[in-house]
Formats: sequence, C-alpha cells, structure tokens
Amino acid sequence: MRRRGITIATVLAVVAAAVAASLVGRAAPSASAAPSASACMKVKLGVLAPLTGPAAFLGQEQLSWVQYAISSFNKKYKTSFGVKQGDSQLSASLARTVGRQFVADKSIFGVVGGSTSQSVISTGDLFKAAKLVSVSGSATRVDLTSGKNSTFFRVVPNDSVQAPNIANFVSGKLKAKRVLVVDSQDDYSTALAPAVGAALKAKGVKVDTGSVAADATDFSNLITTSVAGDTDVVVFATQTASAANALSQQLIEQGKKALVLGTDGAYSPSQYKPKHGYVSSFANDLNFLPSAKSIVAGYKTFSKGKTFGTFGPPSYMAAWVIMNAANNACKDGHATRGEVVTQVKKTNVPSILGGNLKFTAHGDVAGAKFYIFEITNGSYKNVA
Amino acid sequence: MDFIAVFDNLNWDSFVQLTVNGLTLGSAYALIALGYSLVYGILKLLNFAHGDVFMVGAFIGWGVIGVLGGSANPIVPVWLAISFMIIAAALGCALLGVVIERFAYRPLRNAPRIAPLISALGVSFFLQNSVLLLFSADFKTYNTFDFSGGTLFLSGINWGPLHISLLRIIVIGSAFAMMGLLALLVYRTRLGKAMRATSFDREAAAMMGIDVDRVIVWTFFIGSALAGVAGVLVGLIFSQINHFMGFNYGLKGFTAAVVGGIGNVPGAMLGGLLIGLAESYSFGYISDVWQNLIVFSILVAFMLGRPSGILGRADIKKV
Repeated sequence: MRRRGITIATVLAVVAAAVAASLVGRAAPSASAAPSASACMKVKLGVLAPLTGPAAFLGQEQLSWVQYAISSFNKKYKTSFGVKQGDSQLSASLARTVGRQFVADKSIFGVVGGSTSQSVISTGDLFKAAKLVSVSGSATRVDLTSGKNSTFFRVVPNDSVQAPNIANFVSGKLKAKRVLVVDSQDDYSTALAPAVGAALKAKGVKVDTGSVAADATDFSNLITTSVAGDTDVVVFATQTASAANALSQQLIEQGKKALVLGTDGAYSPSQYKPKHGYVSSFANDLNFLPSAKSIVAGYKTFSKGKTFGTFGPPSYMAAWVIMNAANNACKDGHATRGEVVTQVKKTNVPSILGGNLKFTAHGDVAGAKFYIFEITNGSYKNVA
Repeated sequence: MDFIAVFDNLNWDSFVQLTVNGLTLGSAYALIALGYSLVYGILKLLNFAHGDVFMVGAFIGWGVIGVLGGSANPIVPVWLAISFMIIAAALGCALLGVVIERFAYRPLRNAPRIAPLISALGVSFFLQNSVLLLFSADFKTYNTFDFSGGTLFLSGINWGPLHISLLRIIVIGSAFAMMGLLALLVYRTRLGKAMRATSFDREAAAMMGIDVDRVIVWTFFIGSALAGVAGVLVGLIFSQINHFMGFNYGLKGFTAAVVGGIGNVPGAMLGGLLIGLAESYSFGYISDVWQNLIVFSILVAFMLGRPSGILGRADIKKV
C-alpha cells in the first residue's frame, strides 16, 4: 500500500515537473521576445524602402548600398550579417505590412529605413513596441524625431534644415521675387512645403502655393492657374523624381520661364534631368568628392558599375550604424533588440559622408547640412 | 453684362489654357468611354477590364518606341514613330479585347448578369498583375520631350501669352479623328447598322440574319482599339505610365460614359470631354485638391437626377 502510495507520488511529481518544465520552456522565448546567443550568428537587417513603384530609383539605390555596407562590414569584422528586403512601393499601408513582417522575424535586429517619412510614421509604433531600432537614410520630416518614436534614428538632417536652406538659396543666389511652392499631398511634402513657404516669406519673397496628388502626371492645370508670368521658381516638394521632370517639361510646354527646384526626394540624375533646374539633397554626392574616390571605386566594383546619387551612401551609413551596434551588443554572445537600440544611441563612427556620425538625444544626426545642385541638360553640379 | 468682360474677370488666358488642358484629358476619357459605351450598348455589360486594356495600350506604345531606338534617337522620323506606336497599340489592344470577349465573357453570355461583371473584374486584376510581373511596378517613361529635341513641346500655336504645343494638337486631333471615324463606322456602314440593330434588340437582330457573335467580336475589337490609342496619347502627353494607371483612367472613362448616356456613342464622346473640362475648371477655379471629388459628385448628381445620362434615353418597359 505504502509502495503504491510512493509510486503515485512519484508519478504525480514527474507529471508536475514535466508540466512546470513545459511552462517554463514556453515562457522563455516570449519573456525575452528577442533573439539571443546563437541568434547573434545569424543576424539580419531589414530594408524598408520603395523597391518598386514611382520611387523605386531611390529604394533600389539604397538596397544596393546596404548590401555593399553588409559585405564590407562582414569582411572587416568577420561577421555574417544578412539582409531582408521589404518593399513599401511608396505606400504607407504596405510599409506597415512590411513592418509587421520585420517585427515577427526574430533574426532581424534593426531596420534600414523607412526611406520615406510616411513609412516611418506608419511603422513607428510597431518598431517601438518591439524595441526594434530603425535608422533612416532619407526620411526628413521634422517631427519624426520629436521623441514619439524612441527607436527611430536618421543619418540625414531634417527639414528644419532643408526649408531655410532652400529659402536662402532661392532668395539669395537665384534672387527670386516670386515663388510657387507645391506639395504632393503626402506626409513628407505637406510638412515641408509650408516650412519652405514660411522661410521664403520671411525673406520678403512673394509666395504662391499649389498642391498636386502624389501620383500626378498631369501638371498642366497647376501651371496654368498657379504659375504667373513673373514666377521665377517652382519649389516642388516631391518624392518622385520623374514627376519633377514632368513638371519642368510641362512648364516649358506652356512657355513659362520658371525653373523647378525639386526637394530631396527628386535627386535622381537618371530620372530628373531638366534642361535647367535645381534639386536639394540631404547629402553631398560622393561622385563629386575627391575624398570619396576609394569608397566610390569599391561600390562600383561591388555593384558591377551601377550609377548612384545621394540616396545610397546615407543608407550605407545607416546599415553600418546598426551592424556596429549589433556587433557591440553581441560581444558577450547574447544580444536583444533593446541592447541594439542602446548601442545605436552611443554611435560615434567615421562617416563616408564626412566627419564622425553621432546622434542627438532624439535620434537626429548631429551637425549635418543640406546641399543644392544645379542641373544643366541633365548634368548635376553642387552649387550650395 | 459684357460677355467678354465676364471672362476677363476669370482671366481669359487661363480660361483658354484650362479649356485646352481639359480637352486633352477629355479626349482620352472620351476614347475610353466609347469602349465602355459600345460594349454596354450591345451586351449590357460593364466591362471593368476596359481601363486595363487602355493601360496595356500605353505599355505597347512604350515598347514600340523602345524597339525603334528610344525617343531621343528613333531610327525612323518622329511622325512615323508616333504612327507606329498608335497603330501597334490599337491592333494589340483590339486583339486583346477579342481574346477577353472569347474567353472571359462569351461563355457567360447567358449566365446571370453578375457573372460576367465578376469575370470582368477578374480580367482587370489579371491584366494589372501580368503587366506588374512582366515590367515591374517601376514607372516607365515615354521621354516625349526628347523627340526631336523638344519640338513637340516647343512648337505649336502661340496666341498672346498662350502656347498650345504641337503635341497637344496631335493628341486632341488624333482623338477627334478617331471619334469621327467611329461615328462614320457606326452611322454609315453595314457593320455599324448591324451594331445598332444588335444594340436595339439582340434576338430580333439575330432573327433578321445578323451574325450577333460577329458583331460582338467587332464591338470589342473597335472599343479596345480606341482604348489602346488613348493609352498611347496619354503616354505621349504626360510621359509616365505604370501598371495601375488603368484604374483611375478607367473609372473616369466609365464616369464619362454614364454622364453622356451609357450605350450612346455621341454621349460617350460628350461625356468624356465634359469630365475632362470639369476636372480642369474645378482645378482652376475651385480647388486643386477637390477635382476628383467634383468629378465623382457630377456622376452622383447624374445618377440621381438623370440616370440615363445627357444623351441617353430612359428604358421604356412594357408592363
């Protein structure tokens, strides 16, 4: 009887132990909810960019430079970082879908992107909740770094720098008296265009405003109604370089003399090539920098001769920042996404764009500036 | 009140330019609307794949200019290149229309009316995604400005401060020529008479010896050819094309067909031009962000006030 009692007690103890073990086993991954130890060996970077669609030119360039950064970093530090592509197609809702996929993929320690302000807005809460760091190489809307998205950083200056820079150039260098500022009815341009308009007004320039749909190809009505005979410049806040090109052509078609100045989203020597125009950019074009000769040569070899503008190199730095942080976090063989965020905050690395790259408390890059390029018959030249 | 003075207040130059802009856009809508109207007139079918046939036409035109060496250096004179683009798009889309009719609609001819409608939506998605897979979602550009160093944009009619480019004249002229040819075909040929008879009463037409199947095939052939031409004209004037463009243009073309009186050929032409002009004037005189709202408000107003459209006739049923 006693023996039977011991047997029952033993069975119950084993069952209880098994149940407890299974509960502990289940609780472990969800408690840490992040990759650890062995995961350090197979870490991926997500790339959230418009890889197809109207802004594919910038997304493809960014992806290519991220791949180059990964290849260079792996070679230098004997790591094995990989990449996972996420195509936003310039759509906020698609960006959110991609964001969810990245959050669910536990091998992803950081995201390069979103490329555009609306994609950062649509994924910010997801990444914050998952403690997943995102570093953008091109999103410039000012309030992205207002403190709301605590895991978001960017390696390019924001529009609080771009707006006065454009205003200074248009009123100072171009001596424009009347300017039309056009937005593209999206998160990026509806914040930037009023800021440019206000900065121009402060300089005593007469400012008209206009608005077109983000996917517009017909600007003829805008030109007819909003471009006056004495309008000197049209500042077009857009993320579609081909749209800036179409606008400049349709201005000529209606016999208007105004020149187009595209904001940073229009920088594309392959798609925006007006007879005469201007474009703003958040980074200098490495093609024009003698000091960047070796990195440009390295990229050309890696990409088998692909051309590039100003979208790729900042994304190279964004990827480098994440890999550097993940590598530091993995030094003890065990890392979490949260640790990567902490390490990104401490970033202080030499930048291929010049100087050292550091972040402010809110995730903005410290001390960066905007550039302006003049385009003559499709040929770009840095003028400010 | 002085009529001219009224227009002076509106800015006469802007008004004329907006009218030209509206006619350009309206010409494309009219060509698309004709396809909707022809098919509806004969089959009472809303061919929602029609906007995507238009998109395929734009891609055929883009392909042709690529084959001809690109817009900067075409291997043939510019006028010939544009003619090739239009003819290839018209023929390609016409054949596509015939194939769609044969495989997506004919088997459902006697099915409930919802069946071919769903089939049309399926064809629309099929065409969109096929083009997406074949050419990616990247925007393609006609680079029209490169034709003869910008001649198509720079030359044209100068009237005071107004400049109406040669390209706009070509686009509007081609569209009106197509509409004129269609009107001739419908009202002056045996095929047109057969089409009108089939539209009036399909069974009676068949009993009178008209080959209804043949008439339907020709209807799809002609309607789709017009959509193909519209695709090339839009590509030429606005330069950018993509796999999703058929949705917006198709919707506006459908609106034009309804406003003009769906099933009515002159109505479709009129509806297209009216929608183009409404879009243009609303941008110019009301708001640059409300143009779509205004266009579709017109559609709703017509559906409520005159569902048969401007030139359409209300169905009279024997009760």
